[in-house]
Amino acid sequence: MVDLALNEDLLHIPDSPDDKPYLIGSRCSICGYTCFPKKLVCVRCRRDDTMNETKLGPYGTLENYAVMQVGPPDFPPPYIMGYVRLKEGALVFTLITGCEARDAVLDIGEEMELVVKKIREDRDGNNLLGWKFRPTEKGTAL
Amino acid sequence: MKRLAREICIIGVGMHKFGKFLDRSLKDLTRVAVWNAIHDAGIDAKLIEAAYFANVLAGLTTGQEGIRGQVFLRDAGFEGIPIVNVESACASGTIALREAAIAIASGLYDVVLAVGAEKLYLDDTARSIQAMSTNTDVELMGGLGFQFTGSYAMSLHTYMKTCGWTQEHFAKVASKNKYNGSLNPFAQYQRPMSVEEILNSRLISWPLTLYMCSTMADGAASAIVCAKEVAHKICAKLPISISSCCLQSGEVTGIDDGQRHVADNAYETAGLGPKDIEVAEVHDAMAPGEMYRLEKLGLCKAEEAGKLVDEGCFTLNGRLPVNTSGGLAARGHPIGATGLAQIAELVWQMRGEAGLRQVRGRNSSYPKVGLAQNSGGYVEGSPAALTVTILKR
Repeated sequence: MVDLALNEDLLHIPDSPDDKPYLIGSRCSICGYTCFPKKLVCVRCRRDDTMNETKLGPYGTLENYAVMQVGPPDFPPPYIMGYVRLKEGALVFTLITGCEARDAVLDIGEEMELVVKKIREDRDGNNLLGWKFRPTEKGTAL
Repeated sequence: MKRLAREICIIGVGMHKFGKFLDRSLKDLTRVAVWNAIHDAGIDAKLIEAAYFANVLAGLTTGQEGIRGQVFLRDAGFEGIPIVNVESACASGTIALREAAIAIASGLYDVVLAVGAEKLYLDDTARSIQAMSTNTDVELMGGLGFQFTGSYAMSLHTYMKTCGWTQEHFAKVASKNKYNGSLNPFAQYQRPMSVEEILNSRLISWPLTLYMCSTMADGAASAIVCAKEVAHKICAKLPISISSCCLQSGEVTGIDDGQRHVADNAYETAGLGPKDIEVAEVHDAMAPGEMYRLEKLGLCKAEEAGKLVDEGCFTLNGRLPVNTSGGLAARGHPIGATGLAQIAELVWQMRGEAGLRQVRGRNSSYPKVGLAQNSGGYVEGSPAALTVTILKR
């Protein structure tokens, strides 16, 4: 059983203790629109010559979240899904970790931090790693 | 917004009952809905010149990924005409209607069939759920634990904080729609439920409980679309005009922007406003979603919605009856068929053929103007396809 990246092109997974994770997005050199994931075309300007790759994260604020009491295969409940608005402006769908999966455990607008965590296992039992977010101060990751 | 170059109307609608039909194929569902619409219009089926076929998940649920419309409509008796396949998640049915209308407005045809059919029940529920999650960007959401219930729950949280909406309001909406569904012979769920029973059912994601949510469903719905100037020559039924049928994709600027823009376009194109609407079918895969759909459509203010629910404003006898069919959670939500089922309900209500759930319009006669709102899928935090249709008698 080994760790594998779920979305290698979207997330930088640290390979040393000094290395930090980040998401790979794009920013438009004309309008400043910043998005995740990386795009070659700006959806606001509708131009293909203005987007530059940029590192996003690790900080953002919690836009909204829901505690799921039922789950699809590979996602045992309860778990939290939500959206984080990165400091750079892009909106990211994410699972939330580092706190109990119960209602009212988080505040909208609270600061969140990117972490690399197991999302699910593949058919061979390997851990698929991806991005999650956790509250920055509320304690330890589960 | 430009208008269509010809006046377009609906002359026939039909459905296959929504529900769980493990022993019936998509061919069966399609054939029944199509021929119910043909018999409803009372036209010679040979007059149909083209067809738009809406389906979302047949590839994943049955293996029929390619040429779905050609396969399923061949079984319904159609050969030698243009058949176009339409897919945009839960909005597919409305888009089939819209494409049929545009094809007629182009002058190419006078009579076109729009049909939506879906089969979500399999022996394997996990496979059904997996299939549903493909109505998102699977790389960014579907494969990461996204569920549509969570998306509805998040929207409701916001209104609960800012507009005083409560879980009791949501149960009242669900109970109202279950009652409406109990009067609809085509509905998946035909048992009325009390507010208490809904509140006491299993929690899915706060504030949503099991009986507020739509489940898997099989079913089909169909409409015969016709040029207005031709309708009276081929059909004795009262034609119901399509005043507008607007479509757009979601917008990155804000989760709610697209919803408002498509509604504004629909009102402007029809030359009508929210005050003219006398009956509405809105997209409530989770019944409480009805409340924020109405707000986005300008049919109520968010701060007043809770009070209006308490007063029964949206019931069959209320000031603005909404989801008289039962809505998605009670009528059922076989996703590719839903848009056309909304249209069928409006047509029945506006003709005065809705039986025990018939509502009255403003002047004690049947409703003159009806609105359907139908949306589908999720991309980057907002619905992928947004539609609003306004029908007029």
